[in-house]
Amino acid sequence: MKTYMDMVFKYQQANPRKTWLTIFSVALSVALVTTIFSMMDVFQRTVKIQTINETGNYHLMVKYVTAEEKAAILSRVDVQNAGEWIAFEAGQINGMDCQLAALEENFAPNMQVELAEGRYPTQADEIILEQWALKAFQPPLKIGDAVTVRFSGGQQGRFVISGLFNDFGSTKAEAAPGVVLSMAAARAVNARKMSMMLIEFKEFVNVAEARQAIQSVLHIPDERINQNERLLAVIGQSRLEQALELYVTAGVLFCIVLIAGVVMIYNTFNISVMERVRQFGLLRCIGASKAQVRGIVRREGLRITLRAIPLGGMVGVLVTFALSALLKFYNSDLFGEMPLFVISLPGLAAGSLVGILTVLVASFAPANKAASVSPVNAVTGSSELRLSLKKKSSFLTRLFRVEVALGINNAVARKKTLLLMSASVALSIILFLGFNVFIQFMYSAMRTTKPYTPDLSILSKQGLTNDLYRQISALGGVEHAYGRMFGYVNASFDAGLLNQSYLDMVSGVQVLENGRFAPKEKSWLISYDANQLSWARQDLVDGTLDEAALNQGNGIVAVFSNLRHSVSSEPVNWHVGDQVVIDSPTGPQEKTVMAILRGVPFSDSNLNMTTLITTEKQFTELTGDSTLDVIDIQLKDRDQEQTITKIRAMLGSDMSFHDFRQKNSEVDQAFFSIAVFVYGFVIVIALISVLNVINTIQTSVAAKTRYLGVMRAVGMTGAQLNRMVLAEVGAYNLLGCLIGIALGVLLQYQLAVQMLAFAHIRWDFPWFQVAVIAGLTLLVTGLSTIQPLRMIKKRSITDVIGAL
Amino acid sequence: MPELNVEENILLPLLLDYKQPDRAYIDQLLNVLGLSDRKHHLPNQLSGGQQQRVAIGRALAARPVIILADEPTGNLDSKNSREVINLLKLSVEQFHQTLVMITHNQSLASYADRVLCVEDGVLTELGGKQR
Repeated sequence: MKTYMDMVFKYQQANPRKTWLTIFSVALSVALVTTIFSMMDVFQRTVKIQTINETGNYHLMVKYVTAEEKAAILSRVDVQNAGEWIAFEAGQINGMDCQLAALEENFAPNMQVELAEGRYPTQADEIILEQWALKAFQPPLKIGDAVTVRFSGGQQGRFVISGLFNDFGSTKAEAAPGVVLSMAAARAVNARKMSMMLIEFKEFVNVAEARQAIQSVLHIPDERINQNERLLAVIGQSRLEQALELYVTAGVLFCIVLIAGVVMIYNTFNISVMERVRQFGLLRCIGASKAQVRGIVRREGLRITLRAIPLGGMVGVLVTFALSALLKFYNSDLFGEMPLFVISLPGLAAGSLVGILTVLVASFAPANKAASVSPVNAVTGSSELRLSLKKKSSFLTRLFRVEVALGINNAVARKKTLLLMSASVALSIILFLGFNVFIQFMYSAMRTTKPYTPDLSILSKQGLTNDLYRQISALGGVEHAYGRMFGYVNASFDAGLLNQSYLDMVSGVQVLENGRFAPKEKSWLISYDANQLSWARQDLVDGTLDEAALNQGNGIVAVFSNLRHSVSSEPVNWHVGDQVVIDSPTGPQEKTVMAILRGVPFSDSNLNMTTLITTEKQFTELTGDSTLDVIDIQLKDRDQEQTITKIRAMLGSDMSFHDFRQKNSEVDQAFFSIAVFVYGFVIVIALISVLNVINTIQTSVAAKTRYLGVMRAVGMTGAQLNRMVLAEVGAYNLLGCLIGIALGVLLQYQLAVQMLAFAHIRWDFPWFQVAVIAGLTLLVTGLSTIQPLRMIKKRSITDVIGAL
Repeated sequence: MPELNVEENILLPLLLDYKQPDRAYIDQLLNVLGLSDRKHHLPNQLSGGQQQRVAIGRALAARPVIILADEPTGNLDSKNSREVINLLKLSVEQFHQTLVMITHNQSLASYADRVLCVEDGVLTELGGKQR
């Protein structure tokens, strides 16, 4: 031994069990912080990849760009890549609807246009097509074939297919293939078109500042600039209210994670130091100054942290590995470029920092306490509890048996320990309940495929015959086929229900005298049969869905979400009971909104004001139409391509064939990649919380060895000992549970109803979650006392008392 | 200190004073205490008398001029008591120290140069120099 500080080492060596329990406690807290922050980091990367895949990798879009502006933008140092995109209105290729655009080759990968075969179009008569489009023509096309492209406005030209690019799920679903012209061709064509400059900035560039700089230097007005809001939201640069609300929610939860980490570590230290007051008093007797005792306590903390941080950090890194491996395994195309062994520096840094800082802070207070104990009191042990006579009442002993009363008294007598123990339980519960909001958020904010989402749809403006419906239903490879009617109607209602964002998009909406307005756009009216209504219950935000009630009460179902140009928005702020007037061939009919849905699993390429759902009977009344407009088909898993060939052969020339499979699987993937993390968060928090409670209880029981020995010496039986410890631990956990559930439910309510209001989360009191928490706490409390108590009871009483 | 061995326990007060321990002196002390061959043992491997001797050694390590001893043989049997007293006497003679000792044992008191009697908190006998 060279200095008195070596005491620390000797102590930890002599008490390996206590030391490891403490290390494990701190490691758990570090693991909690590291894991959550690392997961958040990887989550952000995942969502970024996903978003780029859906929206394209650009931050800003400058419309009607001139050659000088283009050159100026390209020469900026903060621009990673930029390219021109010329968009045309929808046209036709060999008679089939198609989407037309031209894109500079350097920016094609940014917009997910990746050449699969052939070469990128350069000559004025060259185009490339999506791969799936070749087969959509009869007879199928191939590279080198000449095709006729008809632009909106009637101009048409002959083009040669120079290559093919990868399939898009959305174009397949709309049955309108994407066609990319050469830039030369696009410039030459004299149809309505819009030229845009798409800009991808370098990483860490502040997009808002860069935008301002570009605008002020080039004198570009606001109307000519668009932002890729979704991508900006993901990289934390969005100023949209919804994104800000989400940031705040995440911020609140991560603050709670940090606080939980700090409290857990503080609690551990409090236990381990408080129970050793006697030892520190002895040191003071031998001649240690207060500063020296403080030094020893702090050194002890540091040694523990140095071993706990790598351990906790490792857990965080392993969990992150597991998640990224899962994602890569699930979708190797999309997440292929993401490294398997992602080490999240922010996560590790957060964990380590919390560990070190908390241990420093956490060892301060107990160190001061230890240092301030009078040596004589410490050695005789008389200072461990100072209770005034008044406080000591026989209240507890009258209520419970003596050992239970003792246990509860032990828990309640030390306010600080009680506070810390229950706070660490409460925080875990608050976190668990808080992160559960994300699960609900995910289900309501993200599109999911439903059991009734079709794989294929057949559409015809002329209506489809029941014969065709029967033929398709009878095919071997078809799992289900169901017919749907839809139409477009003029619908009007109280003008105050229209959201500002819609009014901004569609200018000139006139409010009439009766408070209604003259609709500028038609609304999409869909008929649902009883089955579809019952399926739609998953998306119900408010009201009730029942076919008979809708028919009787002249009711209608409103839908919040509406797709415009593949971007979802909320044009109308619906409430149950709102009146809607719909123009029908027999005059206007008034309907009452009886239910509101978040969304529908179908999409329409027309620009509609809103979506309304009726029963089949009412639909016929409203439109006078009873022919099927759509046949939705779900395929069996086997031989899908053969079935599709058979179905295609049945179609007439007026019907369009929509293949939703790729789009559905993209939606599934997006959902899965988010779900992995959201469930990951909740599972990690639950697991660490349970381990933390077990470990804290073990530490506190182990620290009480001597006290429990004395109890046995004065005649307490093993069973009484169990009850006493259970009562004490139970008191901590019960209080923690109550506080945690109360605050957690409050937080959940705040997050779900106030902060994330835009997601229309339907919040009910989380009875199930509360029951799980209560059950788990009870179970953990019982189980975690068994092992340390058994160890204490195995040792002889004199040994236990003799031990310091 | 239960986790430190005999030698470390004796060194501890010196280390707390940031002093370099005088090895020769410590060895001599251990010798006098009769603990030379047990210096690497932990307290729980020693008898009660030996533990008491370690405590005395710890008190002597810093070479105090005055030693205050409150019932140094309080919980020891007569053999161990005698050993401890002999040790204290030896230390006083060898290192020229003053020992102030409180005891209930008349025969131990007889070792002292001057005995002050206290009965129920009142000093009853001042005692003169006997030797």
